[in-house]
Amino acid sequence: MSGNREENALWSIFGYLISGLLFWGGIGWAGDRWLGTTYLTLVGLLVGAGGAIYLVWLRFGRE
Amino acid sequence: MLASVRSATEGDGFVPPGTKDFDLPPIIEGVEWFTKPVLLVMVSVVLISVFFVLSARKAAVVPSKFQFAGESIYGFVRNDLAKDIIGHEFMRFVPYLFTLFVFILTNNIFGIVPFLQFPTMSHVAFPYVLAALSFFVFHYVGVRKHGVIKYIKDIAFMPGVPKPVYILLTPIELATFFLVRPLTLSLRLFANMFAGHLLLLVFILGGEYMLNDSLLIMKLFAPFSFLFGIALTFFEFMVQCLQAYIFTLLTALYIAGALADEH
Amino acid sequence: MEGTLNLVGFGLSAIGPAIATGMIFAAYINGVARQPEARSVLQPIAFLGFALAEALALFGLVLAFVL
Repeated sequence: MSGNREENALWSIFGYLISGLLFWGGIGWAGDRWLGTTYLTLVGLLVGAGGAIYLVWLRFGRE
Repeated sequence: MLASVRSATEGDGFVPPGTKDFDLPPIIEGVEWFTKPVLLVMVSVVLISVFFVLSARKAAVVPSKFQFAGESIYGFVRNDLAKDIIGHEFMRFVPYLFTLFVFILTNNIFGIVPFLQFPTMSHVAFPYVLAALSFFVFHYVGVRKHGVIKYIKDIAFMPGVPKPVYILLTPIELATFFLVRPLTLSLRLFANMFAGHLLLLVFILGGEYMLNDSLLIMKLFAPFSFLFGIALTFFEFMVQCLQAYIFTLLTALYIAGALADEH
Repeated sequence: MEGTLNLVGFGLSAIGPAIATGMIFAAYINGVARQPEARSVLQPIAFLGFALAEALALFGLVLAFVL
């Protein structure tokens, strides 16, 4: 499996980043629509990116 | 099938190809669902069945050319995709992976076969259904192996994290496994086929338009457009094989992930 | 011509992460080729670097649609 670990990891990293940004960014965007503010989308996107990178570190960073 | 042939000059000026070039009219008048992609899928099923039945019927120790072609495709999927990635339980999944690979490959290659020239997968419904199948297969395999609760728990809760962080991480994990994976699987295939077909249309129709233009310099440059279209056709062939491979590879990877003891 | 300039901006901004990803994996491959036993040390670093660069690219993609 060692040869395919890299391919697997790259696709999973991509998936994590996309879902992190979409989920928390989506929540921020919904919060913006609900409360009438403008900064929550950005906060949500940052939180999502941070969470996704943390998840990548948890899964692939610590060996 | 000739209904799809269109000219570059409708009215005055160049009409760039767009999404409307993918909305093909029904082949038989009045039968709404029977369009070119549907026909191509049927043709592909017949072609694949006939090819592999013929190549396997007179199986001999010293293979004929036909048998060799069929066996090398099968061997590629079995050894390079299933065996290397899934591991010792791979034999169960070879039929599915093989069917998936051959079906996608045939339908993609229809995009550059003369007179057919339409990649079926550039209609997004087909990749959606295939991705839904793969989605169902790899979750079913995981649930069968671990049981529903342990499977979901393995996905949702990464070990070794303080409890409050789960609020941040669990939605991301769940979204990855249940939403982003099937979506990216299907959209990658669709977008590649769609963009590839559009690219070929741009150069071929553009060349035709330039050839019909009244200016001499436009006529002179038209062959270059056609040449580039031909070069891109070979490039498209590569992309089509690659996308069929990647779809199968990712399905195998997801199955292997669902079978693994720990995520 | 119709469309939005956001996408042109995204296209430009995607150049940076693209080059970054290329450099990360060039260095990773180089390192592993010179010293194959360093693979387990280099791999997490390469993946994390890739994740950071890719996050910026996806950030640009999302913002191109949101803004």
